[in-house]
Amino acid sequence: MGRSVPDGSRAPGAPAGLRLRAVTAGYGGAPVLRGVDLTVRPREVVGLIGPNGSGKTTLVRVASRALRPRSGSVDVAGRDPYVLSARHAARLVAVVPQDAPATLGFTALEVVLMGRSAHLSPWGGGGPEDYRRAREAMEAAGVHHLADRDVDRLSGGERQRVVLAQALCQDAPVLLLDEPTTHLDPGHVVAILEVVRTLARDRDRAVLAVFHDLNLASASCDRLVALDGGRIVADGPPDEVITRSFLHEAYGVEADVYPHAVTGRPVVVLGPPLRPFRARGLPRAHVVGGAGRGAPVMRALAEAGYEVTAGVLHATDTDAVVAERLNLERITVPPFSEIDAQAAQECVAMMRRAAVVVVCDAPYGPGNLANLEAAVRAAEEGVAVVLLEQVPARERDFTGGRATELWERLAGRARVVRSFEEVLA
Amino acid sequence: MNRRRGLVLGGLLLALAAAVIVAVGVGTVPIRPWDTLRLVAWKLGLAARPVGVPESTAVILFELRVPRVALGVVVGAALAVSGTLFQALFRNPMADPAIIGVSSGAALGAIAVILATGGALSGGLAVSAAAFAGAVVVAFGVYRLARIGPAVQVATLLLAGIAVASVLSSVITMLMASSGEQIRSIYFWLLGGLQARGWDAVAASGPLVVVGVAVALLEIRDLNLVSLGEERAAQLGLEVERFKRTSLGVGALLAAAAVSVAGVIGFVGLMTPHILRLVVGADHRHLLPASVVAGAILMVLADLAARTIVAPEEIPVGAVTALLGGPFFLYLLRRQRGAVRA
Repeated sequence: MGRSVPDGSRAPGAPAGLRLRAVTAGYGGAPVLRGVDLTVRPREVVGLIGPNGSGKTTLVRVASRALRPRSGSVDVAGRDPYVLSARHAARLVAVVPQDAPATLGFTALEVVLMGRSAHLSPWGGGGPEDYRRAREAMEAAGVHHLADRDVDRLSGGERQRVVLAQALCQDAPVLLLDEPTTHLDPGHVVAILEVVRTLARDRDRAVLAVFHDLNLASASCDRLVALDGGRIVADGPPDEVITRSFLHEAYGVEADVYPHAVTGRPVVVLGPPLRPFRARGLPRAHVVGGAGRGAPVMRALAEAGYEVTAGVLHATDTDAVVAERLNLERITVPPFSEIDAQAAQECVAMMRRAAVVVVCDAPYGPGNLANLEAAVRAAEEGVAVVLLEQVPARERDFTGGRATELWERLAGRARVVRSFEEVLA
Repeated sequence: MNRRRGLVLGGLLLALAAAVIVAVGVGTVPIRPWDTLRLVAWKLGLAARPVGVPESTAVILFELRVPRVALGVVVGAALAVSGTLFQALFRNPMADPAIIGVSSGAALGAIAVILATGGALSGGLAVSAAAFAGAVVVAFGVYRLARIGPAVQVATLLLAGIAVASVLSSVITMLMASSGEQIRSIYFWLLGGLQARGWDAVAASGPLVVVGVAVALLEIRDLNLVSLGEERAAQLGLEVERFKRTSLGVGALLAAAAVSVAGVIGFVGLMTPHILRLVVGADHRHLLPASVVAGAILMVLADLAARTIVAPEEIPVGAVTALLGGPFFLYLLRRQRGAVRA
């Protein structure tokens, strides 16, 4: 590995990769792309994202010599594909289209071999070298076992991988993928993206891939380019491109974006958004959470219309983030610090004003033991307490038994439930 | 696999030889295969004049039977290759020069010239040229009409073909109605037939068909590419517009060459590539050469049937191919619909 294959078709000294400059293009009527500037260097895997109709596929078509831009310039591997023959251009840029339509019954190997067409002499068939490359590409795409099968009878995902193999054995320095993973199962998505990344790294390919799945784009590309309304609205590392405001402006969604716990890449969480809490006349409920155990309870209570308070929370803990997003009245102390006497006092006061205190089964250590003590005090003063217990107290006691003891005292005065739903009941 | 395909082509060539020998032997004066071979060897200067074979037999063989069978070979190969080209271009196994109206276009061109000049029904450069012009116009027209989006939809193709063909045949009918005494011969010519055309017809169509088939054979790899769709073919390095012009033109040329000497004969171009795909696969490197031979076989046998079923009367060979091809077409249509649903 790590070898780079010299590419005879590249003009010496010419800038390789893909470059679009001030490209405006369309199909008659209003242009679909408006003044697009985009560069993909060799060894780079750039993800192209954007809402439906933003011009992603049009950009791929422009770069692949299928749609001549109205103005601006296209440059693949140092050449303008629109002045080259189709054959010559096909040696510089390969495309994996969005879908692979039915053929007239070719076998997978025959289809893959057609990827070599631009390299063959006009009337020659494929030689042993072409067969070798076709087989190699099929192995990379995981379709070598389908070689003699009729492509029209393969599944959508298998067919997509056959077309990928076809594009791979085209051996072009620029590779364009238009939603290459649409029909693939998760196993093949990961495998195919790895193949593409390896190809970019080890064979100096410049790869531009259109993605619909933002998390996939974020996880598999070093750089993302976002199109909206035919213009590039962001171009940079995933965490600079995928932001809440981008999601709102481009897609019109209120989605959460978190850095991935391991890679730090942005992770988009779609689904009903967390709306800031608005009381709807139900009584006050106080939630004692920690380590994310309180988040679903806070959300469920807030959505049900309770006036939810929370604490004591450690800043940056998931529960603290969620309480902030729900805009709850809350008590917060610095991360990993012990809850000080003042915060504990305030917390007891907050509990007194609540009709019910929900204590979640967070892990308890010296840092948050004061939460349990506060709950015990409130309970002894007659405040109704609900204990949410899905994990036994002993298994999340990091205080040498003190937390379990407090939990059991609470259990004597509280209703113990096993699920979020029961909390609401 | 490749070995098997080689065997298939060899087998087809042998079958063609056998079909030709049988076909030239069958008739009111039967000629034994052995006599046929000896007479051919003599004619080619390879052997002495065979003894015991009457002079009249040689005349029948070389002036009646051989030209007719040769015309069958030429027309069958032309129609099969034309069908193969159209199927690849339209990316659609239902394409056939007769079904998509190209043959009607050729027929209209030919009839117009025949009526205008009061000329003969076969041969003649003007007739061939007019047939070609008609075929080309229809081929490009239907292609434009039927192509919506990246592929030609079966329904659009067939409907466009039906519409164009019915317009053309009503024009043909009008021409015929005003053609006076020529109406009967034009009618039989339209039905399709190889009877009494002689060497002139072979000479008129043969060279065109040889050229057309040769060009098609040179385009084999590009035919494979275009079967994946125009845009994909371009991405893989095919100069699509130029290729499309050439192969629509060649398809039209072949159909016109067949129509101008044998009338409208349907379904040969549909059935031949279809059956062969099941045997040699879709790769045109194997499909196209096999189509040349198999189309010839199909045509020679269909003509044999046409002149023997109700002998001594003849039925038009177009009726024989339609009798075979109609049900085949319906079967394909059902299968296509099944495939779309799956």
